[in-house]
Amino acid sequence: MRETLTRLRYRYWPDHLLGEILSKRWTETAVPVILLLIVGFALSQSLEHFLSPSSLADTARQAGEIGFIGLGMGLVVIAGGIDLSVGSMFALTDFCALYLLDVLEWPVPAVIIATMAVGGLLGAVNGLLIGYLRLRAFITTLITLIIYRSAFDLLIQRYSNAIASAFPDIPSWNFIGGGDVLGVPSVALVYIVVAIFGHIFLTRLRPGWHITAIGGSRRSAYNSGIPVRRTIALCYVASGVLTSIGALFFAARLGTVGGDIGVGLEVIVLTATVLGGITLGGGKGSVVKSLVGVLVVLLITNGLTAMNARGGVNRMALASILLAAAMIDIRWQKNRTRIISKVYVAPTYHALPPPPPTEIGQGGPFEQNDKLRNVTLIGLGRIEAPEDVILDRNDVLYAGSRHGDIIRFFPPDYESMEVFAHIGGQPLGMAFDRQDNLYVCIGGMGLYRITSDGTVQKATDETNRSLYSVNDDSRLRLADDLDITDDGLIFFSEATVRYEMDEWPVDGLEARGNGRIICYDTKTGATHTALRGLKFPNGVAVASDGESILFAETFGCSIKRYWFAGPRKGAVEIVMDNLPGYPDNINLASDGNYWLALVGMRSPSLDLAWKMPGFRRRMAKRVPIDEWLFPNINTGCVVKFNEQGKILESFWDLKGVNHPMITSMREHRGYLYLGGIANNRIGRFKLENADPDFVHYDKRWRKPS
Amino acid sequence: MIAAISAFANRFLGRGDATITVPSFDGALKPNQLLEQAETLLACDAPEDLAVDGDALLIADGPRLVRLAGSSPAEIRTFERPISALAMLPAGGLAVALGGTEVRVYDDIKAGTPTSVFTGDLNAVNALAHAADGTLIATDGSMVRGFSDWARDLMELGATGRVFQLDPKTRTTKQLASGLGYAFGAVADGGDVLVSESWRHRLIAIAPDGARTTVLGRLPVYPSRLAPAGGGGFWLTAFIARTQLVEFVLRETAFRRRMIAEIEPDYWVVPRLSSGHSFKEPLQGAHIKTMGVMKPWAPPRSYGLVIRLAADGSPRYSLHSRADGVNHGVVAAVEFGRDLVMIAKGPGRVLKLPLASLDEGIGA
Repeated sequence: MRETLTRLRYRYWPDHLLGEILSKRWTETAVPVILLLIVGFALSQSLEHFLSPSSLADTARQAGEIGFIGLGMGLVVIAGGIDLSVGSMFALTDFCALYLLDVLEWPVPAVIIATMAVGGLLGAVNGLLIGYLRLRAFITTLITLIIYRSAFDLLIQRYSNAIASAFPDIPSWNFIGGGDVLGVPSVALVYIVVAIFGHIFLTRLRPGWHITAIGGSRRSAYNSGIPVRRTIALCYVASGVLTSIGALFFAARLGTVGGDIGVGLEVIVLTATVLGGITLGGGKGSVVKSLVGVLVVLLITNGLTAMNARGGVNRMALASILLAAAMIDIRWQKNRTRIISKVYVAPTYHALPPPPPTEIGQGGPFEQNDKLRNVTLIGLGRIEAPEDVILDRNDVLYAGSRHGDIIRFFPPDYESMEVFAHIGGQPLGMAFDRQDNLYVCIGGMGLYRITSDGTVQKATDETNRSLYSVNDDSRLRLADDLDITDDGLIFFSEATVRYEMDEWPVDGLEARGNGRIICYDTKTGATHTALRGLKFPNGVAVASDGESILFAETFGCSIKRYWFAGPRKGAVEIVMDNLPGYPDNINLASDGNYWLALVGMRSPSLDLAWKMPGFRRRMAKRVPIDEWLFPNINTGCVVKFNEQGKILESFWDLKGVNHPMITSMREHRGYLYLGGIANNRIGRFKLENADPDFVHYDKRWRKPS
Repeated sequence: MIAAISAFANRFLGRGDATITVPSFDGALKPNQLLEQAETLLACDAPEDLAVDGDALLIADGPRLVRLAGSSPAEIRTFERPISALAMLPAGGLAVALGGTEVRVYDDIKAGTPTSVFTGDLNAVNALAHAADGTLIATDGSMVRGFSDWARDLMELGATGRVFQLDPKTRTTKQLASGLGYAFGAVADGGDVLVSESWRHRLIAIAPDGARTTVLGRLPVYPSRLAPAGGGGFWLTAFIARTQLVEFVLRETAFRRRMIAEIEPDYWVVPRLSSGHSFKEPLQGAHIKTMGVMKPWAPPRSYGLVIRLAADGSPRYSLHSRADGVNHGVVAAVEFGRDLVMIAKGPGRVLKLPLASLDEGIGA
């Protein structure tokens, strides 16, 4: 009863989604967005005209003006700096625009260009001092805040009357100040354009990435060859220009140069920036965060004003929000990855019936023996982590190594070896195609092709993105084993979409169907996902009918068959289940049956733990991974089975001294070659009654041997 | 109420009693491989305890009592049940515990009838030691589980260990302590008795009035029998070592209950005297052989350890057989001549290491 409840609960409740959602970067923006919605809702309830078109347009105008400054501030903060002088720059450029327009009577386009140039210039002073002379951003911009403010005060003493007495009536200037398109204010339109560009700039363009990199780690950015000083200087210039754009709209809207313009603006903008989630430490932020922050701050200040709160209260509220935001920001940034790592691992219920017996004297197809004890060894200590082994028609032996190489050994004694090709990732399953190209699954990279002259080519490293997957599953994380059909389709397994290769034990702990079978078409180059939701799919072999593949599910302890063509296309059938161990690679045997490597054997304690997801979840949290209960992959065996799912023979090594782990085996001219991913050797075993002329890929491609 | 809440919070957050940290082998317990270098004196089926009889060594091997003088072992006598503890009395008498439930005292090692027999409610007597006043100290591991069923007692969080004082003259039994987390091993220390409290990973001193003090606590191992050392101090053996996984399982009631009910004891997640016999044994992450080697620092399912204690009970140095070794499950150590003789119950061996090399080599 309790077991049934557990099973149902883990079957229908998607535990794994929480961690996946939290690890999305956009969840960082989620908190301020929720805050914005709450504030918006509260205000719409307490203020009558809050949602009226005119009120919204008014808010949008202010939001646009401050939004430009927010973008500039955001940029500077992402680069790891701060710009306190935005308020003074705002005042100065506002003055500049009105002076040029009202006193010097320049045409509007010239005013715009000149004002932006002045803004850029003011920002350049900051940029020069901070970027090139490497002064502290805080103190420098504090000083320029004072200087610019003083300059502004001096200037308005002389010119405020001249500006105040002018009433320019220029349509284009009026449009900038109060115009709209379909009810959307001009400033909001321009802001949207700039914001979209800013988003693309920050997330898709090289300079944007440079800025993020500098903010993340200035030294690393410098060491990677990023022009740190110039980029930082340019950020301050951009901040100046963006501030001047905001000032232009402000000038066109109000046309005044009062003494309190821009006073305290830096606090408002800084609050908005931090509230939006742009970290003061640098390296993190986005345009959306900046916008959300600005909106929240504006709504609060406007709301308080509308509720007749006094100026002091207003500022106090903003300051408290800034303090709270900064505090939450720091705690969240510090603990986010910890929270994710606590909730990401989501074990599920996985029940297996008691395994068939393996003990000597108990009989059955899996009865242990010592046939493999005397395997001879190839490349002992010279090759590391040969997950799969393969032989070509000239008897040359190929194997992967954990250094990212394909190593080959030459007959007849397999003593001499060389690096055949360097790929850079851990090579796993391998197969030859009709033209003797070697296709290799590379953990963490994808499917690669090595031509017979050793040239490495990428076949595919992505597939179609699933509609309902929260994690982006388009990239291949752990391509594992493959086989090639007569029509040139390559079916390969991807063991898990939730973890990297070195994290396979975590996937085993979860025992969730995280893996899939993927098909790559060598003719069109297209890749698509054929099957998903498999428990660590591993070995793949094309069945004798040419219309289906056999594949192993390691943690499902089963072999299944999938029809990719013919009348039963799309069907999946269990060939064998409840194996006593964890199946790995499958390869053709000379008598038409199949070899299967059992990489490890089931233990009762892990079988029980697989039925108790809560136990495993707590284990994952409390116990270090080296001490976890693991699938036993020190002992394994090789079995031969037929397509009807009958085990014909098994080969064991009781002590496992010579060859501890078996992840793959390949029959070739009367011998069986063994690979193991944690081994530093390749095993070679003489088979009785095997076809002495059998060459796997000659038979596969029907060539005369 | 507050205690219940804090217990729940501890369980939820993995703090307080719910922490599974295990002290590291450090200081005097810094690992070495000295036990692996020990000479094998004798291979037995089921060695259990050691005693010294003048110039000969007595070994309890299952129900057999073996006498080893020189290099030739000779079976002296066989009991009807396995010997669970062995002690030589100062006057040449012999004390044996049989099957954990009975203690017999003989006048000499070949005497046919015992001078006194203690049964009563003895259940799992696993060590005997003679006290200065002529009495016999017996530790009884558990009131509910038999002497060889200690793993079940551990998994059931057993706390029913007792210490008895047996007086062969008056044939009376006096209980010195009860409610211990598996008492396994005792030695007289002046008027006090030092007792290994295995499940609480400590060595306690029990005064004649029953007052207990912790002499050596927070051990990374489960201590077992004790023996006096020449020049003051003691030899303390540890039959199994702690691992974080076992500590975790001890706090997982549902898993433990199902494990005890559904799985054969050999394959439990529990420390053992030896390991690596079947792939059905639980395997932990660091146990995976990489490049053909299992690392010695892997969490030990079985371990070999002997600790030399100073007279005040503080550890001076230690002899190890680590996770990749075989001389595991050390249950007894005695000084014999110029050697330290030990029983590694895991592989069924009686081991010998020259004392001089230990004092020199480790510089203690």
